[in-house]
Amino acid sequence: MYLEYVKSAISSIKSNKGRSFLTMLGIIIGIAAVLTVLIIGDGMKATVNGEMDSIGATTISVTLDDTKTDKGFTKEQLDLIENNISDIDGVSPGLQFGGQLMMGDKAFDAMVNGETPASGMSGQVEMIHGRFLIKSDVDEAKKVVVISQTAATKLFGYENVVGNFLEVSAYGATDEYVVVGVRKDNTLDTAYASFFEEPSFIVTMPYTSMLDLYMIDMESYVHGFTIYTDSEYKDQVLSKTRSVVENVMGLRGENAVKISSGYGFDETTNTILNIITSVVAIIAAISLLVGGIGVMNIMTVSVTERTREIGIRKSLGARTSSILTQFLAEASILTFTGGLIGLLLGLAISYLICRIIDFAFIVNPVLVVIVVLISTAIGLFFGIYPAKRAAALDPIEALRTE
Amino acid sequence: MKKLVEIRDVSKIYNPGVNEVKALNHVNLIIGEGEFVAIIGQSGSGKSTLMNMLGCLDTPTSGKYFLHGQDVSHMTDDEQSDVRNREIGFIFQGFNLIPSLTALENVELPLIYRGVGKKERAKLSMDALHHVGLGNRMTHRPNEMSGGQQQRVAIARAIAQAPPILLADEPTGNLDSGSSKEIISIIKKLYKEGRTVIIITHDPGIAAQAKRIITISDGQIVSDIMNKDYKD
Repeated sequence: MYLEYVKSAISSIKSNKGRSFLTMLGIIIGIAAVLTVLIIGDGMKATVNGEMDSIGATTISVTLDDTKTDKGFTKEQLDLIENNISDIDGVSPGLQFGGQLMMGDKAFDAMVNGETPASGMSGQVEMIHGRFLIKSDVDEAKKVVVISQTAATKLFGYENVVGNFLEVSAYGATDEYVVVGVRKDNTLDTAYASFFEEPSFIVTMPYTSMLDLYMIDMESYVHGFTIYTDSEYKDQVLSKTRSVVENVMGLRGENAVKISSGYGFDETTNTILNIITSVVAIIAAISLLVGGIGVMNIMTVSVTERTREIGIRKSLGARTSSILTQFLAEASILTFTGGLIGLLLGLAISYLICRIIDFAFIVNPVLVVIVVLISTAIGLFFGIYPAKRAAALDPIEALRTE
Repeated sequence: MKKLVEIRDVSKIYNPGVNEVKALNHVNLIIGEGEFVAIIGQSGSGKSTLMNMLGCLDTPTSGKYFLHGQDVSHMTDDEQSDVRNREIGFIFQGFNLIPSLTALENVELPLIYRGVGKKERAKLSMDALHHVGLGNRMTHRPNEMSGGQQQRVAIARAIAQAPPILLADEPTGNLDSGSSKEIISIIKKLYKEGRTVIIITHDPGIAAQAKRIITISDGQIVSDIMNKDYKD
């Protein structure tokens, strides 16, 4: 029997196509707006957190606040910290300076990176020949480098240059290094090379060797480092990092350790993103509310217009509940259909926007189900008042209406 | 003859108090199964109130109404709906078809409210439409039909679920004389097939078609006679 009410509701909606569509429009826009905001919000968070780029690997960066302390890290302290935080691949101070690579009488601009083996776990490093840095390279400040395949080809004329010597020069000082590994080019290489007209390369060496080359005192210069870990352990690692660093550095209670995860965005940023998403979603939800009121308005008009029909139905034996169901079905089918259209529209719009601003396009299936349920619920909620009015009509009065 | 309708001392008073209107004033009436009755009266005579009462659309201020032996004078709205659905087939002056539905769908309505299954419903409705000579108009909507055809759809709707009483309120009031004759002859045919028919009218010409004529004036029955001139 309820199927009959649904059928009758559909035929009634169809018999008034123009008005039904205009009524739905409010719901369509509301649902599309809310959905777009939520999907873009999710995409923004995912992109910011870099969860899409390298599945599994993630980094946490730790710095000492130079307004609170003037301490820096020594190698012993870094090693101690590394050993005291479980579930990590390792830590690296990640030093970076400009320098030059000398090949015979030619010099090439270079970005010299001082790293540890851990930085090879970032997901960005893929070795083709030889090996990446190992622990003894760092401990003994060995004069070894890892270069990209393009660098190898450009500098030596061929790719597998493992065992060859390369001169690296910085601020007038020059030293000779053994190439221990050739790695695949990655996005950083491309980005770096694009800054310069002349060929320029990234070379990676143990940070200890780099400190020697540039004659830098580590403790006065290194105020931060990066932790390499798996995103699976990120939360555990985050929870331990502060106390370990504070203990090792003797900075307990000084609030001098700053920790951030992801691509330079910390938890506060995430919270702010969530708040922004929520506020915009609430504004979008208000349009949904307005759409719902539109449905109530049209249904009320519809009840007034169809007073006679209601009288006829009642004289033929329709119960109060039958009339109520009929009008509720009409309202909720209207909003359900509007919700479906709004869903498709919202998906299309958010997909386009995510594409244009290069956000990850993530659709949570739960969100889709909730959106459709909510649109139906709006029909039921805003349909109650007009449906009750319809059901309460006196058949004699209703039949008398023209 | 079995009693189908029994109205005992029924009064209906609107606006109780100083300006009260006694639409029905201590009315007694018995109608048996298989009768063909016309209730005639001028406007304001109380005939519409009586019709609403008979059709279980209204309840009396005092007195009792027994329909099929069941006291229907004090029922809830939903109980009244059920009784209307089961006992009464309405034929209205203004046809009262639902414009957005086809002839067949209109005829099916009371069967839907009774909970008759889809196949059974379609069969009963088609039979009823054939019965009134509209077997070829099932998918037409009311605005695609003449007044006479619309009233025939309404009659089909009234008889589809075979209620004991056909209650016709000015059934020819909106029709030209040709269509009127057609409708009256269909109603007569239904009576001869054994249905109880009650026509409410202000038109003596229509009332003269019935077998029993009840005249109502100022809320009271002033005459109740068998029509000597009744012709089959």
